[in-house]
Amino acid sequence: MKLKVTGIVCAMAVLILSFLIPNLSAAQTPAAVLTGKVMASSGRVVSNAKVTVKNVETGKSAETLTNPDGVYTFTNLAPGEYEVSVTNEALGAKTAKAILTAGQQQTLDLMLAPATQEPLPNAPSLGDLGFTPQQSEPDAKLQAMLEKRTEMLKIHQRLGLIAAAPMAAALITGPMAKAKGKNGQTITEPTTANLDFHAALGGATAALYFTSAYYSIFAPKVPETPKHGAIRMHEALAFIHVPGMIITPALGIMAYKQENAGEKVHGLASAHGTVAWITAAAYGTSIVAVSWPIHWKLWEK
Amino acid sequence: MKRILLALLLAAPPVLAQPDAQWVAEQSTLTYHMSHPMHQVDGVSHAAKGKGICHAGQCDFLVAAPVKSFDSGDTNRDLHMIEATRGAQFPMVVVRAHFPQAETGSAAIYVDIEVQFAGQTAHYAHLPFERSAQGDRLTIRGTVPATCSDFKIDRPSFLTVPIKNEIPVRVEITWRPM
Repeated sequence: MKLKVTGIVCAMAVLILSFLIPNLSAAQTPAAVLTGKVMASSGRVVSNAKVTVKNVETGKSAETLTNPDGVYTFTNLAPGEYEVSVTNEALGAKTAKAILTAGQQQTLDLMLAPATQEPLPNAPSLGDLGFTPQQSEPDAKLQAMLEKRTEMLKIHQRLGLIAAAPMAAALITGPMAKAKGKNGQTITEPTTANLDFHAALGGATAALYFTSAYYSIFAPKVPETPKHGAIRMHEALAFIHVPGMIITPALGIMAYKQENAGEKVHGLASAHGTVAWITAAAYGTSIVAVSWPIHWKLWEK
Repeated sequence: MKRILLALLLAAPPVLAQPDAQWVAEQSTLTYHMSHPMHQVDGVSHAAKGKGICHAGQCDFLVAAPVKSFDSGDTNRDLHMIEATRGAQFPMVVVRAHFPQAETGSAAIYVDIEVQFAGQTAHYAHLPFERSAQGDRLTIRGTVPATCSDFKIDRPSFLTVPIKNEIPVRVEITWRPM
């Protein structure tokens, strides 16, 4: 009797184990994770979109909503092939496939694009808006002119900025190139080298300046474009620095000759330095006028 | 009997047919914003024109503005903008918006937009626009998150530093029924 009971218990144990063992083995398979972001075709994330995953083999499905960052996550999925679909009322639906591997996280971003909708039969067209042909018709000639203008003004800008360097150096070396009278006598300092160096800087400045000016003056002018804004100040200041850039070298040559003759610079030539400084100030202001960071409001913290 | 049917047929159109709602833009302000480490620039146009129609539960709106109508406060910069955006070759920026008619009554309208600009077309889906009403006028405000790359525009640079890719366009349009 005792043996019979033991036999029944053993049989039941075997039966129970036979049920448990496959389940245990299934429970031991590490789950997979599927995550991703749902975006509209504009690149904007889509929140509250319904995302559904369906195991292709078993037909089991689960669903979730994307969070405010457009992210969805499914944890604890069995490995296998899945059909992932996302739906949004405004943006329509999208379906994609994903194969999940045990214990791994797979990322699948989905992009929603609205289905191309047929316009209403009587939807307005551009012709209904009443623009003139001048406003709405293409002008290839004008485009070519604008491209040439931009190209020339870029060169103008680059050369103009480069010219500022020898100009500053010429201003700095100016006093070193100036002969100083001492007790009524003319002395021969500075050296010829100082004078020549200063003259070379002035020459380089003038060359760069006038080349830059050429690209500005001869850049194509766009008709019917009244000028306004910082460009007006930039151009107005040219009325100071252009004559200045002509007069300064002329006075410089006079001063150079006087210095070389062992004379103290006198007459009109003595204005060389002053004119140079005024010219440089107008030139610097002209550059700042079109390049100052207009959003920097120094008076605000 | 025939008379009754005839009477019904004659009476039916005004009763059954929903008349299309049509709108025309009364005032408009389009503002693009351009960012550079040294400059923050807003270019404004008040020259946009627009029309819209709602029919069978759907609305189609069309807004267009000449590219050269944008004013950033400096002629030189505006001409450069026209050149960079191929504005002489493609002189209009054209926006087509599509949304459910039911949304015209709510404070927020989600709009699908197609923008034609610089010879390219970009789509922006489900953009939120704020709606406010005053009398029979409707004002729509929102921002289109446009970028230079959306329209294959080579980003202009200043002192060798290019502007930011993002050029969001703020839209404010007041509509009146036609």
